[in-house]
Amino acid sequence: MPLPALRRLPLLLAGLGALALCTALSLALGARSVPLPTVADALFGDAHGREALVVTGLRLPRTVIGLAVGAALGVAGAVAQGITRNPLASPTTLGINAGAGFAVVVAIFALKLNDPVEYVWFAFAGAAGAALFSQALARRAGDIDPVRLALGGTVLQLVLLSWTSAVMLMNQRTLDEARFWLAGSLSGRPLAVLWPVLPTLLLGLVVALAVSPALNALALGDDSAQALGVPVTRIRLAGGVAVVLLSGSAVAVAGPVAFIGLAAPHLVRPLLGADHRLLVPGCLIAGPLLLLTADVLGRMVIRPSELEAGIVTAFLGAPLLALLARKVAR
Amino acid sequence: MTGAVVSVRTNRAKSTARVRVRRRVLLLAASGLLALFVLLTLSLTTGEMRMPAATALRALAGLGDPGDVLVVQEFRAPRSVAAIVAGAGLGAAGCVLQRLFRNPLASPDVMGVTGGASLGAVALIAAGASQTLIPVGALGGGLLAALLLGVFAWRSGLAVTRLVLTGLAVQAGLAAAVNLMIVRFPAELAGSALQWTTGSVYGRTWTEVWGAGGAMVLALAVALVLHRRLAVLDLGDDSAGALGLNSSTARLQLLFVAVALASLAAAVAGPVTFVALAVPHIVRFVTGPPTAASLGLAALTGAVLLLASDLVVQHLLPIEGLPVGAVTATLGAPWLLVLMFRQSSPVRRNQA
Repeated sequence: MPLPALRRLPLLLAGLGALALCTALSLALGARSVPLPTVADALFGDAHGREALVVTGLRLPRTVIGLAVGAALGVAGAVAQGITRNPLASPTTLGINAGAGFAVVVAIFALKLNDPVEYVWFAFAGAAGAALFSQALARRAGDIDPVRLALGGTVLQLVLLSWTSAVMLMNQRTLDEARFWLAGSLSGRPLAVLWPVLPTLLLGLVVALAVSPALNALALGDDSAQALGVPVTRIRLAGGVAVVLLSGSAVAVAGPVAFIGLAAPHLVRPLLGADHRLLVPGCLIAGPLLLLTADVLGRMVIRPSELEAGIVTAFLGAPLLALLARKVAR
Repeated sequence: MTGAVVSVRTNRAKSTARVRVRRRVLLLAASGLLALFVLLTLSLTTGEMRMPAATALRALAGLGDPGDVLVVQEFRAPRSVAAIVAGAGLGAAGCVLQRLFRNPLASPDVMGVTGGASLGAVALIAAGASQTLIPVGALGGGLLAALLLGVFAWRSGLAVTRLVLTGLAVQAGLAAAVNLMIVRFPAELAGSALQWTTGSVYGRTWTEVWGAGGAMVLALAVALVLHRRLAVLDLGDDSAGALGLNSSTARLQLLFVAVALASLAAAVAGPVTFVALAVPHIVRFVTGPPTAASLGLAALTGAVLLLASDLVVQHLLPIEGLPVGAVTATLGAPWLLVLMFRQSSPVRRNQA
C-alpha cells in the first residue's frame, strides 16, 4: 500500500492546488470582479466597502456551499459505483435526485413555497425516502443485490420523474417556481441552507471513507469478497447509508446537480487507479473542483447574468467524459 | 449403465425445460395480442362520443354512420396506432441495446437518443415552428445524437465500455441544452416544451403515423434478421471473433438499428421514458434467456404498455392534456417490481 500511494501523492497535491486556485477564482470572479488582494483583505483583514461586502456576503457562502456539495456528490458517486459494481451508477440512478425533486415540487404546489431555504427539509426527506425505498426493493435475504439496486433505483427514478412532470404540468405557477430549482444551482443560497444538513454530510463522509478499503474486495465479486473475510452485506448497507446521507444533503442544498457523482469517479480512475482507498479521497477533491469550475464558468459566460451550475456541469463534463471514453483501452 | 440413465434423465429435463419456455413464450404472445386487441377496441369506442365495439370496428373499416367513421378513422385510430408503433419501437430498441451494451440499465437514454430528440423538438418550439414540423425535429435530433455517439466512440472499433461512457456523455450534454432552454423560456413555452419532452401521442395524423410506422416495420425486420449476430456477440468479443464475426461492424449495424427504432418512436410519441428500459426486463423475467422470440415479445409488450398508458391518460385521469409519458412509468413499474420479487434465483448478471 505505502509505495503506490506515495507515488500518487504529487497527483493528489496537484489536485488540491487546483482546488485552492478554483476557490480563489470563485471568490474573485463574477458580475463584479474583485482583485485577489482585496479578496484576501476582505476575508482576513478588516476591509469594508462594497467589494468586501460582495466577497463576504455573496461569494463566500456560495464557494463554501460549492465545496461541500461537490465533495459530497463526488464521494457519493464513487461509493455508489463501488457497491453496485456498475459504472453507470450514481446518486441519480438510486432515485435520490428524483425523490428530492418530486418532494420539492409537491411542496411548492401544495404549500405554495417560493424560497430555496424552505425547500431544504423537503428535499432531504424526498431524497432519503427514495433512496431507502430503492434499497428496500433491492434487499434479498438480508443482502442488497447490486443489479436489483441499480435497476430498482432507475425504475423508481423514472416513476418519480414522471410524477414530477405531471404535477408541474398541472399547475403553471409550480412549473415556474420549480424549473429553476430543478436545474441545480449555487446562486441565491445563503449559508443558512448548508448548516442544517452539515452534520449528515460529515457523517456520510466518515462512513464513506471507513468503507472504502472494503469496496476493493467487493470489486472482486461477492463470493471472493466473502472468502477474504469481508462482511459483504454490512459493507453494502453501510455504503448505501453513506450514499443516502451524502447525496441527500447535497441535493437539499443545491438542487439536483446531475453528472458530478457520475463523472468524478470516472475522471479520477485513470489518474489514481481503481483502488478505492485512493479513489474516494480523489473524488473528495475532484467533485468540488468540477462543481466550482462549473459555477465560475457559469458566472463568466454570459455576464452580468449567469448560467445555473447544474447546466454548466453537464456541458463541461460531457466532453470530458467523451474524451475519457476514447482512452478506455478495452 | 447408470451414466446412460443420468444422461437420458438430463436430456428429458432439458427438453421439458425447453417445452416450458416455449409454452411461456406462446402464452405471453397470445395474451399480449389479446390485450392489444382489447385495448385497441377500448380506445376506439371510448371518448366524448361513446359507441358500441361492433360499431367502432365497422367504422374503422369505413362502414356505418359517416359521423362515426370520421371520429374513429380521423381522430381515434391514428392516436392508438401511434401509441402501438412507438411502444413497439421502444421495446425492441431497449431489447437490442441491453444485450449490445451488456448492461441491464441500457436504454435510449444511455445513448443520447432521448436527449437528442428532446433537443430537436424543443429547438423547433423555440424557433416557433408549426406543430407538424416537431416530429421531424425529434427524428433529426435523435439521429444527430447517434452520429455524435458514433464519431466519439469509434476508434478502430467499437468497444462496449467506450460506447456506454460516450453515450452517457452525449446524453448529458444534450439534456443540459434542453434544460437550459426550458429555464430560459418564458413560462408558457416552458410548459409546452415540458409537455413535448415528456412524450405524448396527442393529435397525431395519418401521414405521420404511416411514415413512421412503415419505417418502423422495416427497422423491426432488420433487427430480427440481425438477431443471430446479437446472439454471437453475447459470447464475448473474443469468441465472436473466433467464430468469424467482425464484432465492431456487427455492433455498429445493431447500434444503427436500435437508434433508428428509438428515434422513430421519438418522432411519433416524443421521448417516452421507461418503456425501453423496463419492457426487456419484463419479457426476460417471464420467458428466460433471450431468443429471437423475445425481441418480438418486447415489441408487443411495449405496444401494450404504451397503448394502455395512453388510455389511462385520456380517460381515467381527471387532468386535461397530460402527456402519456407521465403515466408509462407509473403503470409499468409495479409489473417490473413484482416480477423482480418473484424471481427466486439470482438475477443473471451479464445476460441483460
